Amino acid sequence: MNINFSSFFPHWLRNIVALWWLPTLGFILWWYISANSTSFFFPSLSAILSVLYRDLSSGLLVGYLIVSLSNMAIGLSYAIVLGVICGLIIGEFKMLREVTAPLLNFLRSIPPAAVVPIVIVAMGTDSPPKIFIIAMACFWPILLNTIDGVRGIPAQMLETTRAFRIPYHLMLSRVLFMGALPQILAGIRIALAAALVLMVISEFFGASEGIGFYIRNKKEAFAMAETWAGTFLVGVLGYLLSTIFLKIEHWLLAWYFQNAPEEKTKLNAVKQA
Amino acid sequence: MADLIELFNPAVIPPIKEVAAALITILYRPEFYSAFMATLLDSIKGVIYAAVIAIPTGILIGMFPAIERATRVTLDFGRSFPVVALMPIFVLILGANSQMKVVIITIACFFPILLQTIYGARRLEPTIVDTVLSYRIPFHLRFFKVILPAASPFISTGIKIAISISILVAVGTELIIQITGLGAQINLSRTFNEVAIAFAYVIYAGLLGVFLTTIWDQFESRLLSWYRLASKVE
Repeated sequence: MNINFSSFFPHWLRNIVALWWLPTLGFILWWYISANSTSFFFPSLSAILSVLYRDLSSGLLVGYLIVSLSNMAIGLSYAIVLGVICGLIIGEFKMLREVTAPLLNFLRSIPPAAVVPIVIVAMGTDSPPKIFIIAMACFWPILLNTIDGVRGIPAQMLETTRAFRIPYHLMLSRVLFMGALPQILAGIRIALAAALVLMVISEFFGASEGIGFYIRNKKEAFAMAETWAGTFLVGVLGYLLSTIFLKIEHWLLAWYFQNAPEEKTKLNAVKQA
Repeated sequence: MADLIELFNPAVIPPIKEVAAALITILYRPEFYSAFMATLLDSIKGVIYAAVIAIPTGILIGMFPAIERATRVTLDFGRSFPVVALMPIFVLILGANSQMKVVIITIACFFPILLQTIYGARRLEPTIVDTVLSYRIPFHLRFFKVILPAASPFISTGIKIAISISILVAVGTELIIQITGLGAQINLSRTFNEVAIAFAYVIYAGLLGVFLTTIWDQFESRLLSWYRLASKVE
């Protein structure tokens, strides 16, 4: 790879090409190989995209997206508020930590998807059961990461706050919360992926609207292009959400990474996961 | 809020006494064993297939920066893709059977193992890289004797993440499309209004995850004892 492009093309352009040539190639290949597809299961990419465009512009999918995303946002917000508060308290008191550890380890390993049918029966097929399921699934990674984050704060820092008699509420919000913030955000990133999965599963199960319902409904009608379109849309959604969150995280933690390149944020994320 | 209160109705959340009794009684049910084994074996199969594909791929990607850059966007997309959303398509293409479940689990487990392997392979110390280059160590030796061991702690973490994902995806798949396993049993007992039994199955599904991760922890501490020792000396 020692061809001398550098004199012709600016740095950012070369960067974009290096990152995007393979996905673009894959997309073009998919487009042309599937172009004359007569297979029922693999409709052509142009058919999938035109169906996607049709249902997006008719407002059907946009409405579903709003429903799904608002369920996800509400569920995630509940989980963040409860997870961070409980995590700060449990992380701060050693006794509480030791008492709750076995219970938390067990509850965390219960697959949230397993609870979906029980919750749907209990709470009906509206939004509340979906919000509840999403909140429940997101709660654990945020809680456990917050606890770890609080525990990871250096002891000198806590002793300094004690020595200076920093008032308790300030210590909670300025020392414990800020100290645990990198870990909390790592927990939220894991929770975001879980929220997307549970959003789809809960809408597969008992729902009359939402993007998961769209996929399942079209599958039951054997409408292959629509099923692919919905699945494709969920994939794009997942990619956009995680990219946007990474940007937010990098911005919130600028002080922590001291303006390290974004790549470093990502590396750190993988280590913490 | 009213919905939340409704959740604490005995018909929805059964008393602990009943769940405890159900935990024992389902052990005597003939369908429990087959369901448990189906979930366990399919999860393990999925993790193994994923590891076999992901580890060599990950090391190759990690060895060559150009490939790493080219695949980054694709991998980010794959990583953030909720695999359960693929289920309807796979049901139509492969049918609702246990092979299809294994395929879904394999895809779901592929990405955590792959990403961890890539990061492990890229993390190699510059001195080691230079040593390998100056001694002109052949490719296959570099692959098996240098990068694979160096990446193995990261790979192990990836497999641990994959194990917990595999149980989650297995139960989710069984639940949605009713193929033999703990997930299908949860749904069935709920249909028959045996809520305590459904809870017992949920608890066994959780225990299965704990069980598999504990086994992997034991295995890992043996496999990577050299690594732990080295980092302690450091």
